[in-house]
Amino acid sequence: MSDTSLARKPARFRPATEESPAARRALIGVAFLGLGILAFAPLIAVFAEALADGIAASLRSLASPDARAAIRLTLTIAAISVPLNAIFGIAAAWFITKFDFRGKAFLITLIDLPFSVSPVVAGLCIMLMFGTNGLAGGWLATMGYPIVFAIPGIILATLFVTFPFVARELIPVMIEQGRSEEEAALTLGASGWRIFRTVTLPNIRWALLYGVLLCSARAMGEFGAVAVVSGKIRGQTATMPITIEMLYQEYLPVAAFSLAAVLALLALVTLLLKTVLEIRHADQLAATLRR
Amino acid sequence: MMGRPFIHRSPMPGLGLSMGITLTMLSIVVLLPIGALLLKGASYGPAGIWETVNRERVWAALFLSFRLSLFAALFNLVFGVALAWVLVRYRFPGRRILDAAVDLPFALPTAVAGIALTALYAPNGAFGRLAALIGWKIAYTQWGIFIALVFVGLPFVTRTVQPVVEEIEREVEEASATLGASRLHTVRHIILPMLAPAALTGFALSLARAVGEYGSVIFIAGNIPMVTEIAPLLIIIRLEEFNYDAAAAIGIAMLLISFLMLLVINLIQVWSRRRIGDV
Amino acid sequence: MHIEIDEISKQFGTTAALHPVSLSLPSGALVALLGPSGSGKTTLLRILGGLEFPSSGRVLLDGQDATGLTVQERRAGFVFQSYALFRHMTVFDNIAYGLNARPRASRPPKAEIARRVTRLLELIQLPDIGARYPGQLSGGQRQRVALARALAIEPRMLLLDEPFGALDAKIRKELRQGLRDIHDTTGLTTIFVTHDQEEAMGLADLVVVMSMGRIEQIGKPQDIRSRPATPFVREFITA
Repeated sequence: MSDTSLARKPARFRPATEESPAARRALIGVAFLGLGILAFAPLIAVFAEALADGIAASLRSLASPDARAAIRLTLTIAAISVPLNAIFGIAAAWFITKFDFRGKAFLITLIDLPFSVSPVVAGLCIMLMFGTNGLAGGWLATMGYPIVFAIPGIILATLFVTFPFVARELIPVMIEQGRSEEEAALTLGASGWRIFRTVTLPNIRWALLYGVLLCSARAMGEFGAVAVVSGKIRGQTATMPITIEMLYQEYLPVAAFSLAAVLALLALVTLLLKTVLEIRHADQLAATLRR
Repeated sequence: MMGRPFIHRSPMPGLGLSMGITLTMLSIVVLLPIGALLLKGASYGPAGIWETVNRERVWAALFLSFRLSLFAALFNLVFGVALAWVLVRYRFPGRRILDAAVDLPFALPTAVAGIALTALYAPNGAFGRLAALIGWKIAYTQWGIFIALVFVGLPFVTRTVQPVVEEIEREVEEASATLGASRLHTVRHIILPMLAPAALTGFALSLARAVGEYGSVIFIAGNIPMVTEIAPLLIIIRLEEFNYDAAAAIGIAMLLISFLMLLVINLIQVWSRRRIGDV
Repeated sequence: MHIEIDEISKQFGTTAALHPVSLSLPSGALVALLGPSGSGKTTLLRILGGLEFPSSGRVLLDGQDATGLTVQERRAGFVFQSYALFRHMTVFDNIAYGLNARPRASRPPKAEIARRVTRLLELIQLPDIGARYPGQLSGGQRQRVALARALAIEPRMLLLDEPFGALDAKIRKELRQGLRDIHDTTGLTTIFVTHDQEEAMGLADLVVVMSMGRIEQIGKPQDIRSRPATPFVREFITA
């Protein structure tokens, strides 16, 4: 083969849809640097501070009665509010995607509303409704159901801030899947509950799990709204984030960061599971991963 | 009276149950509490709200929250678009980890982020020490608040822009090149305008989140009235003083800001849909 | 512009999209690259346009080696199958894009750009759509706008990838004549890719039949029809 027939690929040739290698490297560098400083550094800081006095000190502080009460309370809150939220999400998604009614767009806006309300304002709203001086709170308290500065208030606050999580994941998926499968089951004489269990649920289970995962992470970590309604009673209404704040203000950094490290570990597990879901079941999740 | 029925008849089961659960929970958890706040505001009247809000300290807090949120959202706009581009277009080791790390601010509880950032940027912290070398104080100043707000708003722009980057047709970029445009020209005149609606939506979401943020900010802020006191903290302070009226007034002001931003987000989406349509 | 393709080949990984092919296209010809999908015709077109780099071989434009020229330097008017119109820009801005993208020194003044765009809109017989967005146009209109946009840069050649692929039969016929007219007016060497033998035979001066990355036959439509060179060609043109 003669030399002239071999096209020497000039160094500057690159596809029209690519940036120069220098620009590429610079952008990737910015991404690593930015996320390194903004995301990885705080994460590392949590564990470094927690282990500042060694792992034994850290574990000892986690075994203290206050820390244990906080962990127990946070798990209780999540165990109650996440299923409630899932039930709401399924019901809302069913109502919105299986029926035609007026004001559907408005209803969706209302469900999304908590995302754009400051958690502190959310807590304030619950306070004004269910607080002892609130619209319904006084009456409920005299009936023997105190809401605010007690567990029900924390649950309400948690429900408020996590309200759209499950519904938001389910609605797009159920719209995409349409109604024909349920209608087919209906013609075959299946009952409503049976249709849901055998037709709908298998189609939405990954989206449901995804929503529940995000909801749990937020439920266990919520601070602003809970700070308003909890009353911060040690051992009774102090959740993990609230206890972290109290320990930190009392200059007990190892105790505060140890508890924070538990939550950070949970966050990492959440991210891991979320990534696995996104890789394995991308086709069954909502197309937009926006929250 | 009504032109069409409120709910269309449907053979689908579960109408009563699903509607009942939806509306009951929506009312108890969201609508009644927000209604209580609005009712409080109504009983107070616009003049009363104005009187409470129109105090130097309240203005300072609202202005601070809004101004720093704006700066943080702007930073996130630029960084978020670049990050979305890198994550979608480039293949390099560590990409998946970076992609997952974008969501860290969603997953990490705000109080945890707050104390972690404070530990880093305090004068004796890892980054704080470095900054101190050039006489730069970050924690307990407005810089600290800015950094916390950048952290909480980090995912929004990236996550709204990523799917749009994925959808850009290569042919459109190639067309630009065949017409003689340099890569930089293509990025500025073709790619960025195509990303603009999504980026603006992400920007507005990030801004809305930052304005209301509390947990990650209060530890690093220093909370000096008039200087580093954010609006949500002022609500908490008023509540702790049992001054519910003042707290409600500030809360309504913040709620109005949120609604305004929600409106802006929707307008951006309507505008971009009308202009670009679907080709 | 006389186009010479000299032993061009293209590998994608381990598969060969093009085996070394050679081709000489006279200046001002209207050429069809005809073949089924996977025959390498689009790859060849993209190599001519500078969008792909050949694994070996040379492209000569008027005798000059153009293999190393970037897309931008190549100045080939390229019409994509999807048209690839910029949907956030008006039709006017789409057509003016190539002129506006030039460095300031060689950019025509605004009035000159407007004049040229107006003339191109007249050429494609859509004088009144300058203010519209691509989303508001029919498929046939989009195709013509894409053509006008490619012509605006005063290209040295015109390359079209399945220019009628996305259109229904009736509009195809109309636009075919439109392309013929524009070719005759501008005198540009024009190459279009198609899988439709009737389209190739009906429109082109010269047809290049391709299959599996090889050129099966080059000739005038009537020659190919009367004397197919290979069994593949015979079968393909009667199909």
